Amino acid sequence: MARYVLKRIGLALITLVLLSMIVFAISNVLPGNVGRSVLGPFATQESVDALNDQLGTNRSIVVQYKDWVSGLVHGDLGTSLTKQVPAWDLLGPALSNSFKLAFVAFIICVPLSILAGIVAALRYGKATDKSITTAGLSFSAMPEFVSGIFLILVFAIWLGWLPVTAQADPGANLATQFKYLLLPAFTLTLVLLGYIARITRASMIEALDSDYARTAHLKGLSNRVVIRRHVLRNALLPTIAVVAVQIGYLVGGLVVVEVLFNYQGVGSLIYEAARQKDLPLLTAGVLVVGIVYLTVTLIADLLYAVLNPRIRFGSME
Amino acid sequence: MDRETRRVIEEYRRNEAGPLENNVIDELVNGELNREEFLKRGAMFGMSLGIMGSLLAFTGEAGAATTARTQRVAAKAGGTIRVGLTAPGASLEPYLLNDGGALALAGIPGEYLTFTNPKGVCVPWLATSWKPNKDATVWTFQLRKGVKFHNGQTMTSKDVVASLKHYVGVKQSNAGLTPYFDAAGVSAKGPYAVEVKLKLPIGVFPYLLSQTTYQAIIQPAALAAQPGTWVKAGMIGTGAFKLKNYVDKKSAELVRHDAYWGGRPPLDGVRVTYYQGSAPMVLALRAGQIDLAMQLANQEAQVFKNNSKFTYYSLPTAAHRQLCMRTDQGVLKDPRVRRAVALTINRPQQMAKILLGDGQVGNDNPFWKGFASTDPSIKQRTQNLQLAKALLTAAGATNLKFNITTWNFLDHPDHAASVQAYAKEAGIDIGIEIMDVGKYYDSEPAGADYATTTPWLNRTCSLTEYGARGVPNIYISRCYMSTGDWNASHYKNPQFDSAANTYLAAAELKAQRAATKRMAGLLLQDTPVITDYFINYVTASSSKVKNYVPEGISHVRLAKVSLA
Repeated sequence: MARYVLKRIGLALITLVLLSMIVFAISNVLPGNVGRSVLGPFATQESVDALNDQLGTNRSIVVQYKDWVSGLVHGDLGTSLTKQVPAWDLLGPALSNSFKLAFVAFIICVPLSILAGIVAALRYGKATDKSITTAGLSFSAMPEFVSGIFLILVFAIWLGWLPVTAQADPGANLATQFKYLLLPAFTLTLVLLGYIARITRASMIEALDSDYARTAHLKGLSNRVVIRRHVLRNALLPTIAVVAVQIGYLVGGLVVVEVLFNYQGVGSLIYEAARQKDLPLLTAGVLVVGIVYLTVTLIADLLYAVLNPRIRFGSME
Repeated sequence: MDRETRRVIEEYRRNEAGPLENNVIDELVNGELNREEFLKRGAMFGMSLGIMGSLLAFTGEAGAATTARTQRVAAKAGGTIRVGLTAPGASLEPYLLNDGGALALAGIPGEYLTFTNPKGVCVPWLATSWKPNKDATVWTFQLRKGVKFHNGQTMTSKDVVASLKHYVGVKQSNAGLTPYFDAAGVSAKGPYAVEVKLKLPIGVFPYLLSQTTYQAIIQPAALAAQPGTWVKAGMIGTGAFKLKNYVDKKSAELVRHDAYWGGRPPLDGVRVTYYQGSAPMVLALRAGQIDLAMQLANQEAQVFKNNSKFTYYSLPTAAHRQLCMRTDQGVLKDPRVRRAVALTINRPQQMAKILLGDGQVGNDNPFWKGFASTDPSIKQRTQNLQLAKALLTAAGATNLKFNITTWNFLDHPDHAASVQAYAKEAGIDIGIEIMDVGKYYDSEPAGADYATTTPWLNRTCSLTEYGARGVPNIYISRCYMSTGDWNASHYKNPQFDSAANTYLAAAELKAQRAATKRMAGLLLQDTPVITDYFINYVTASSSKVKNYVPEGISHVRLAKVSLA
């Protein structure tokens, strides 16, 4: 197992290097100019050129990349070109925020979605199944800003139960922070519920119809025991893989939700950096999100193997 | 008028007033200025309120001087106001300020030499008075005494000189006044006077050093001498509130500056929260999480109109859009064709639909009706489809087809679509090209020569936004004159340039108005740019916010504000 983990870490490092190269290469063809972005559209070209010269953005992309990598190996993620502060000073708090939101969304969304999938599968073909499937699909199809605004209107403005933004005041305790994160977490739950529930439902139906479930029933085990001991363990395996990928999204891909709830997470920070062609910040952000994705996927794979004894690490390799 | 008042006025005219001030007084006495215009002009030339009041009394306008002041309700002391601002795109260093969120926050601790108030009057601020030389090429500003920076240091001419040198001297800056003066032209004349030598005569120069030139914040000399240190040092300025804590893109906390020169502010402090756009700010205001928002999108702000829990503000400003048409090449080269496009637009209807009434109809020139220099007799262009069609036929352009290029910003897409729809009524086929901001304002392709390739300056027809200013100088010199670096229509008319130069150098209102009338006539005839509307500054606050007066440039002035 240790060999497998080491090999996965090696592959992850190669992936991250490639990722950073791709970000630099793609950014080079993106429209926009850092100097213009900082000084505004009406600054003279002379001033813009002088600023680009000062920031070093007029050097070749290869030279900029080499500089960035050289800093990285010394533990320096670079300096934001537009803000003129170390990238980590912006990324660190944003990452912490993203983890908080991802955590709250995870603990609400995942159990609820799995429960909905299980109930739908157990009530296969009945009204409950159809309701869960249709509602889940409808919520998933709804853009985040629509469901988010709807939730804000109901719970923050009409009922006044929850705050409209996700950012608690500095120094707020954990309970208050949790309260502030509820609305965006519910919004994300609406987005993901249908998808995770459908995967769980499909796996459950397959497992319920399997030979081992039938055998267990024939052995005289109660329905509850069959589901708990035999069906769930097998049915949740695909769900784990799906949930793992969603964690990456929850940490680094929430631009719309972060903007709507005025939350300073990694998603909106990366989007802003891309818009302003702030390469050191953009690459550092993408790298951090990449590390989160790869770590979560590795954990999911290990969990998958632990839950499924049929899988041998040799075959995974 | 009593004998004492007459004596004061005569003494002022004889001993203090220069030729420009005496001209203003003559214009008032001859009935060429109404009282509001006189207040604007008088304040610009540094005339005291007392003198202006006496002069108005002399001409039968007694008591008028006080009307420039906003009626205020009694302020209740204490409390912290929660303000929503849009997150700044870049740095808050004064020389780098370029967006609303950045200048709004920097403008709370930071202040300027003069102040253009919401009525368009340039009034004393850190400078108490100013005087030009005979031809308005040298301006001397007398500084307010006893002004304290947030670090306790007293403001003197040394700080003002360093700040103005900082403003025009940093090469990597967004300074719009560099064509008018440079660092060598700024000098101290004693501890409380500063002289600025201009490269060319400017009759309205004090306006240009007000908050509309938002990079020209007055800061301690030690900070101004080292660009890039202001934010790190805690944004030390002279404003009513001083910075306590700042978290980039997230929030800021400011506390009362007890030694504020304008008197102790009623509020204890200000808590600023940054928002990624207007919509989240509207929701936060509705939910009671903030008390006051900076500029809001018109559509989104409608919910606050006629709502007793909120106060809705709609301030007329000179902010406008320029639909620039290339005059030197392509299908719009013929002025008849450009006039035809302009004649298709039903301006009142367009303004009602796009701005929901929060604006003013434009007349294809930058001369907003609020500018004292705008001649009120300029005839308004109105929709005339018959004439538009006739012009197209005469120009042989009955199958006219072109694109409007713009970027995805506020009303731009709706604006372009409205022009497209109106033009269609005259058989003109307009396509719309909407770009990302980066592409619209970058060279094309990236790295190519900027001036000759960037879409906003080189497309056949481009739609670009211009913010509010106290005077039209920047618009005229940079967008319409043949030497202008923002001249997107590539308009070159020696007659216009001549009138523009006359306007820029003129200190007398009569001469300015004559020049703007001439320029407006030429612009109606040539129509290089369609300016179909001017935009009001729209925002809202909770009804418990008292004495707040919005500003067209997005600054949030809170020195007199209180919470009920």
